[in-house]
Amino acid sequence: MSENNINVLLSGYIDGELTPQERQDFENRLKSDPELQKELEKFNKLKEITGAMKYADIPDSVWEGYWASVYKRMERGIGWILMSLSAVLFLAVGCYYLFLDFFLNPEISIVLKIAVGAGLLGLIVMLVSLIREHLFAYNRDRYREVKR
Amino acid sequence: MIFFAVYKTEDKSTGDAELVFLIAGGDKKAMKTLVDRYKKRAFYLALGMVGNKDEAFDISQEAFIRVFKSAARFERGHEFFPWFYSIVVNLCKDCLARRKNKEAREMNLDDAAYLLVADSNPEDAVIKEELSRDVQQALMELDFEDREIIMLKHFKDLSYDEIAALLKIPKGTVMSRLYYARKKLVKRLARYV
Repeated sequence: MSENNINVLLSGYIDGELTPQERQDFENRLKSDPELQKELEKFNKLKEITGAMKYADIPDSVWEGYWASVYKRMERGIGWILMSLSAVLFLAVGCYYLFLDFFLNPEISIVLKIAVGAGLLGLIVMLVSLIREHLFAYNRDRYREVKR
Repeated sequence: MIFFAVYKTEDKSTGDAELVFLIAGGDKKAMKTLVDRYKKRAFYLALGMVGNKDEAFDISQEAFIRVFKSAARFERGHEFFPWFYSIVVNLCKDCLARRKNKEAREMNLDDAAYLLVADSNPEDAVIKEELSRDVQQALMELDFEDREIIMLKHFKDLSYDEIAALLKIPKGTVMSRLYYARKKLVKRLARYV
């Protein structure tokens, strides 16, 4: 067994996760390797330190309000979805009527149509530019970690 | 939808996967049962990963909302906890990524009262509090994957088989990842070990 493999067995040894054969191999090596003995000692000490620790208990009153908080967030999530849906519909219908009643209306001056059209086009260009910038920043974010 | 939920779930012995299917059908009580069953595990898991109480609460609650939103996609025959675990862990990663840099990560360490505390008697409480702080600090300096495996072994006391199932890696990889993670932690806690 290679040096690296023997060292890796150290973790399994202190956690009681080795097979009888692995354990035998490890103990044979341990007898003749002072460095490994030192490392074993350190790992055992680490286990002892962390074994004596635990997370502080959170008061019951906090847990009592937990479900209410999750529920509120779920409700708000549904609210946001409905509101977004509504906004998209309003926008679509608005655009349709704007086109029908404003741009196709022969009574409205062409200058006014150009002014409103240019304003809207400018708004769309700015929006697209903003979205592109955000996407660019997102793609270059070195902390964007891969999902498991 | 949650507004039209039908109250079907009262039985505490209902399995997790069954609860998720009830949630997919809009059962609010099933959602509450699942939240009550896993809220502490989700919170402490997140706390171990991000080291901040408020963020850990936020992450754990968001994880339940994700379960609610994607319950319909949960596949029959799968176990709930590994699925839920990966939701929590991904949220923790997102949270840490938002902090952007190591300095910010360390600055965000929470008040010691909610972090690791040693079982202490009054005489050496101060020393142990310092040790707790140093351990938490050392954990937060580790890479996410190293911290994750240390948390699962040292603070959740899971077996290698359980960790392997949760992380979807072979048992041998658990042993080797744990070895290298411990090595790094020992180096950071050199004054204690």
